[in-house]
Amino acid sequence: MDEPAEPTEPTEPTSRSTATEDPFSKAPASGTGSGANRTRETVTAALLAALLAASAWISIPIGTAVPITLQVFIVLLAGLLLTVRGAVLAVGVYLMLGAAGLPVFAGGLGGWGVLAGPTGGYLWGFVVAVAVISWLRTRFAVLVGKTIGDALALAMGVLVIYLFGWLQLAAVTAIDPWSALIVGVLPFIPIDAFKAVAVLVVAEALRRSGVVR
Amino acid sequence: MRPPVPFGQYVPGDSPVHRVEPRAKMGLVAAYVIMLFTVGDFIGLIAAGLLAITAVAISSVPSRLVLRGVRAVSVILAFTLLAHGLRWNPATVSLVRLGPLALDPEGLLTGIFFAVRIVLLVVGTSLLTLTTSPVRLADGIERLMSPLEVLRFPAGEVAMMLTVALRFIPTTAEEAEKIVVAQVARGARFDVGGPTRRARAYVPVLVPLFVSLFRRADELATAMEARCYRGGEGRTRLRESHLTLSDWVVMISGAVLMVGIGVSL
Repeated sequence: MDEPAEPTEPTEPTSRSTATEDPFSKAPASGTGSGANRTRETVTAALLAALLAASAWISIPIGTAVPITLQVFIVLLAGLLLTVRGAVLAVGVYLMLGAAGLPVFAGGLGGWGVLAGPTGGYLWGFVVAVAVISWLRTRFAVLVGKTIGDALALAMGVLVIYLFGWLQLAAVTAIDPWSALIVGVLPFIPIDAFKAVAVLVVAEALRRSGVVR
Repeated sequence: MRPPVPFGQYVPGDSPVHRVEPRAKMGLVAAYVIMLFTVGDFIGLIAAGLLAITAVAISSVPSRLVLRGVRAVSVILAFTLLAHGLRWNPATVSLVRLGPLALDPEGLLTGIFFAVRIVLLVVGTSLLTLTTSPVRLADGIERLMSPLEVLRFPAGEVAMMLTVALRFIPTTAEEAEKIVVAQVARGARFDVGGPTRRARAYVPVLVPLFVSLFRRADELATAMEARCYRGGEGRTRLRESHLTLSDWVVMISGAVLMVGIGVSL
């Protein structure tokens, strides 16, 4: 979505690029210039952070022992739908809300302790993962096509979350890396594969609906 | 549906711990975390624990609330103990054996050390959020970030985003619940079928959720533009909070004490 093709607006690359280095490309015909796009990008990211925070409280009964929250879905979706800047801001603000002590992390937890604690690595991983997804998907789209590109970008993003989560889990509890892998990564692979599929379907539906491009 | 936890864990009060400026408190917590990760033995942990208990006692926050965070990490605590304490078919003879599994007292001691460290981490850090309101914390985070503006970090914008996000969390949660309930009322099932079907069941929830989110962002951005919002720079505050002399004294003496404990014990 970083491609300069923007059918609603006559292309004026020089005047736009001087005002801001990263125009929010999916604004539908805002017409008021780059300032409005920037505000829109910022507000969208803020609302996405609010949704991420709220999703700690929304659980969908799926019939498994582990209650599924929407959190990882929304993190992955943010990577697919927003620019790198917007996605990183959204997830970063979400982590700051958590650091400020709001009960926005899985299981209604909040506070510095969660970020510094054994499971905090997954949360740090979110920030890097959205940046990776958002950046890779535009590159992959050129190489292997949009759908496969998105799927590959998501897979890389999930791997990033695992990597950070695994490292911090092993470091904080000082258990050996292999055990940390068994507890902290392997059980989540099937569930996260579900989630990635759902994210692909939702992102496709949203693009079709014309809300985002 | 009401959130399972009250909005923010903040417990209003007027203890000395409550009165310390948020930025000073965040500095102290940072020093506390450094201390926990640098102490090398149980004496250091006991010192850190005594400090944490003293702070909780001064804050007059019910200990039940302080321990709520510990309950949430209980699975990881149990696993830490087991992973360190149990050995598979050890060469040395152990007191307690169950088939090939054996209890290793030395490993168990190591496990207890790391488990206690996690407990202290949770207790100390949750004290910050139990005694500081989210708005003041968000404000404190903004003030701490403001030097980063030199590095082109958008501190003002991030502060605005924090405020917007804080304001819209309840609204968003309500809306999401409404959509889930509405789709269930239309016969949506989240608990049947194979992986693909289950994944697809989320589409009718997430699509309206995101459509309304992007629409609301549009409206809000327009409203802000109409009120002459032009980025975060130079934004003023309704309430200013200042670091007083006593805040500085508490922060510096506390940080020196804790880092000292961490390095020497």
